[in-house]
Amino acid sequence: MSVQQDQHQESSTNSTNANPSKDTTHFGYQTVDKNEKESKVASVFHSVAAQYDVMNDLMSFGIHRLWKRFTIDASGVRPGNKVLDLAGGTGDLTAKFSQLVGREGKVILADINSSMLNVGRDKLRDKGLVQNIEYVQANAQYLPFEDNTFDVVTIAFGLRNVTDKDMALRSIYRVLKPGGRLLVLEFSKPEHEVISKVYDFYSFNILPKMGELVAKDGESYQYLAESIRMHPDQETLKGMMDNAGFEQTSFKNLTGGVVALHKGYKF
Amino acid sequence: MHPQVLCSTVELTVNQALSLNIHGLDQLKTLEQKTLTVQLAEFNFPLSFTVNQKQVLVTTLTQHSNCTIVTSIKTLMALKSEQQNHQALSITEMIKQEKLDLQGDLKVAQQFAAIAESLEIDWQNELAKHIGDIPTYKLTQLGKFISNKISFANQQIQADASEWLVHEQRLVVASNQLSNFKESVIDLSQQTEHLAQRIDTLLSKFSQSSEQ
Repeated sequence: MSVQQDQHQESSTNSTNANPSKDTTHFGYQTVDKNEKESKVASVFHSVAAQYDVMNDLMSFGIHRLWKRFTIDASGVRPGNKVLDLAGGTGDLTAKFSQLVGREGKVILADINSSMLNVGRDKLRDKGLVQNIEYVQANAQYLPFEDNTFDVVTIAFGLRNVTDKDMALRSIYRVLKPGGRLLVLEFSKPEHEVISKVYDFYSFNILPKMGELVAKDGESYQYLAESIRMHPDQETLKGMMDNAGFEQTSFKNLTGGVVALHKGYKF
Repeated sequence: MHPQVLCSTVELTVNQALSLNIHGLDQLKTLEQKTLTVQLAEFNFPLSFTVNQKQVLVTTLTQHSNCTIVTSIKTLMALKSEQQNHQALSITEMIKQEKLDLQGDLKVAQQFAAIAESLEIDWQNELAKHIGDIPTYKLTQLGKFISNKISFANQQIQADASEWLVHEQRLVVASNQLSNFKESVIDLSQQTEHLAQRIDTLLSKFSQSSEQ
């Protein structure tokens, strides 16, 4: 449950979310100017970066580690691969990928938010993971990499915050090698009504209070809950990936659909 | 997500055990970037163990495995039991019976097994770090005392039960009675074979004389 991230946006194809105009977008439940959203999201992540990992563990009861493990297992990564961990934040996925791709491989931890990137870099260096990791401050919509560069691209709990998701998906498609795959781990729509109600209560009543107590920032966690609701559901996101050019797209619901892992290939 | 829960638990346990190993982590150097995959019949997913920088990663990835073992927990237990009893390993026999399948570099599996076997943890030392030397010593003595008592009680119960079943209730035959019975059966079997041979000889003689 990475509850946060660095980029953002919103999708024109989002069925849950009527876009008032092409110059505006959503920041949680608010409608804001597109240019404004990026700075607003940036301020959220600058604010929570230091407590990000602690809050993730607290809010998800540690389950986010299993979701990330599931992503790693679904990635099919192998030694020598080049991996882009987009919106990688504090580097949980990067740490595992780094160990799996080995010395011959490379992992790029990219994030639009410098505070998150700094926290991630410090954490990974403290773990002794330095050999095959590079750090890049990058916007998912305009990835600063050549075409056909990566074997695997992951974006975990980051797509939700990207301002133009379609553009980001096209950008990811461009940098993937033929045969490469994209994995999107993101909050989604719970499969059952009961789970949905419990989840809503938790998100809007308990989560902001936890944010207030631990990270001294309830508002950021209020944004988190709202941004999850504004994010496209499973089928919509799958359609967006299809539109961006991905093939054999599929998704797997985790924890009753609270989170979903979408996967698509570039051929 | 059950595979991920298991992977996470196994990874944590293995790395914790390795970090406490009194022989250190040098043995892992030979396995750097090597992967052993174990596919157990009891689980519908594989477990891959990859060594990286003196740590073991446990995943369900199978894309790059240096050695794959397909077996069951039951077979592994049987192998371990044979090793403990110093009996000849019947790996070939198990492969023939399709209870075990090995693919890839067997040396990798052997190196992983060697590390597992050489794992030695000084529990007293580890415990002393938390509760101090004297409590650890006392606790160890108490543990040994209880262990001896349990062992003695176990032997006593077995002996008493055996006595009661064999001699008092006569529900079970004694081992010497069983070996006598076996010898008698072998004798009888030999006599029967001998008799059969004689009958065959007589029959062949009879058929020859009737032809003449």
